[in-house]
Amino acid sequence: MNPLPPVDVEPHPWRGLAWLTRRECHRVLKLWKQTILAPVISSLLFMVVFGLSLGDSIAEVNGFEYRVFIVPGLIAMAMAQSAYSNNSSTIFQARNDRYLDDILSAPMSAWQVHLGYLAGGAMRSLIIGVVLAALALPITGAPLEQPLALLLSVLLLIGGFGALGIIVGIYAQSWDNQSFINNIVILPLIFLGGVFYSVNRLGSPWEQISHLNPLFYVVEAMRYGFLGAADVSPWLSLGVVGAITIALLAWAQILFATGHRLKP
Amino acid sequence: MSSPATSPPALSISGLTKRYADGTLALEDLDLEIPAGSFFGLLGPNGAGKTTLIGAVCNLIRLSGGEIQIFGRPGTGMAARRMIGIAEQEPNLDKFLTVYETLLYHGGYYGMDRSEASERAEQMIDAFDLRAKRDVEAPKLSGGMRRRLLLARALLHRPRLVILDEPTAGVDLELRHELWRYIRALHEQGTTILLTTHYLEEAEALCDEIALISGGRIVARDSAEGLKRTYGVDTLEEVYLRTVAGGRIALDVMEEVE
Ligand SMILES: Nc1ncnc2c1ncn2[C@@H]1O[C@H](COP(=O)(O)OP(=O)(O)OP(=O)(O)O)[C@@H](O)[C@H]1O
Ligand SMILES: [Mg+2]
Repeated sequence: MNPLPPVDVEPHPWRGLAWLTRRECHRVLKLWKQTILAPVISSLLFMVVFGLSLGDSIAEVNGFEYRVFIVPGLIAMAMAQSAYSNNSSTIFQARNDRYLDDILSAPMSAWQVHLGYLAGGAMRSLIIGVVLAALALPITGAPLEQPLALLLSVLLLIGGFGALGIIVGIYAQSWDNQSFINNIVILPLIFLGGVFYSVNRLGSPWEQISHLNPLFYVVEAMRYGFLGAADVSPWLSLGVVGAITIALLAWAQILFATGHRLKP
Repeated sequence: MSSPATSPPALSISGLTKRYADGTLALEDLDLEIPAGSFFGLLGPNGAGKTTLIGAVCNLIRLSGGEIQIFGRPGTGMAARRMIGIAEQEPNLDKFLTVYETLLYHGGYYGMDRSEASERAEQMIDAFDLRAKRDVEAPKLSGGMRRRLLLARALLHRPRLVILDEPTAGVDLELRHELWRYIRALHEQGTTILLTTHYLEEAEALCDEIALISGGRIVARDSAEGLKRTYGVDTLEEVYLRTVAGGRIALDVMEEVE
């Protein structure tokens, strides 16, 4: 077959963004057992083991049954980890196998590439959050009191942890680096951020120390959205999470714009 | 096919310098102009800077200095990038996509709409004899098939400037001749080609102009015949050995001849 002559076409960066978004979502769905099913099952196990079995022997926390109290934090934890680990691994793979070059050489601007890579983690995180909420709310009887505040905290959580995933994926030297950050930083901080207990009850100095943990505010913001009550004001938690999210998004954007570590 | 004299060069590089983070100076104040419509060969030993030069043109490395224009458009802009198709030296295929999807998504990244990209993907699958592997993922292809898919992807969006970094390395004789035929036909249709290769007979057979690069500098540039004449030798291989065997000496020779 004879080749066709070249054509002059206007670049359509928006289409490029749409296709990169599709590609990222395609990857999530293709690997759905690892990307969706596994995290949903492990969160449900937490809810069952801690909530339903221990729940009866633990008194109410802040006026909520224990099994209700832990639901928002567990959903936050699952969503944060999936947004993070999705983006860190997809970027790392694209860098490592150099198929990122097909994106870098395409007519897209830095922030379009950035948005496209955020999309996969966002979709994965949202699916997990919706599935978990759909299962956990009826089972435990947890309410959904402040849908708008919940929506805002979900968006900030997805943006912040998605951007953190991108940053770690860009800096990672090896595959292990990303899970190291997850296991050593995110997971412990989110546990200590009061997923399973109210930090108010810790007493000095642990209560004050807990307030230095940024992930405490993530859990608090999500808890306020679901339960309509939390240890600190929702304005404070949304403010802290919002500021951190903006800083992380800006950092990721700088990496895409300068090509630092993406291009030699 | 030659273009009107008024059309800007396909590629215009001035003062291009690239120093990698580890201090390696891969390109040094390099100037190069490739006329629209030419079939241009870039030859030079391992480590001469060919892949670095190509990376600079395709937004794949960070420049340390210099400027690039593609058909008169700034190399950093979207319009320039839309006009380039690149097949890199090392096959870099998305491991989550099948042959068809690789082509389809590439078309999308380059701004084609779905039906256009899909139709074009099927054409390229036939043109590069990948029909039987249409729904197979890239990691399950043989080396030669990957090479073909890489080329098909580079050409999918019908770029005006096609850059091929050692497209025939590790390719069997039959496929190599097929690729030559295809690339020649592509050139006849008006596509500008920039090719790097270590097969000098390939460069001689295909290219209407050749530049020799060594140590990050262009040391000679002419048609194959012109180069042989300049150096008073019978084969391109001798030219190659004289020029890039010691870039400095080659420059002296060139000055004497001039
Ligand atoms: N990522 C990198 N970091 C540091 N140095 C690099 C990097 N990539 C290439 N180099 C160095 O830059 C120089 C030019 O390399 P380049 O890959 O451009 O050569 P080449 O002409 O394509 O060689 P080959 O024929 O082997 O493909 C070499 O000295 C190489 O070691
Ligand atoms: Mg090379």
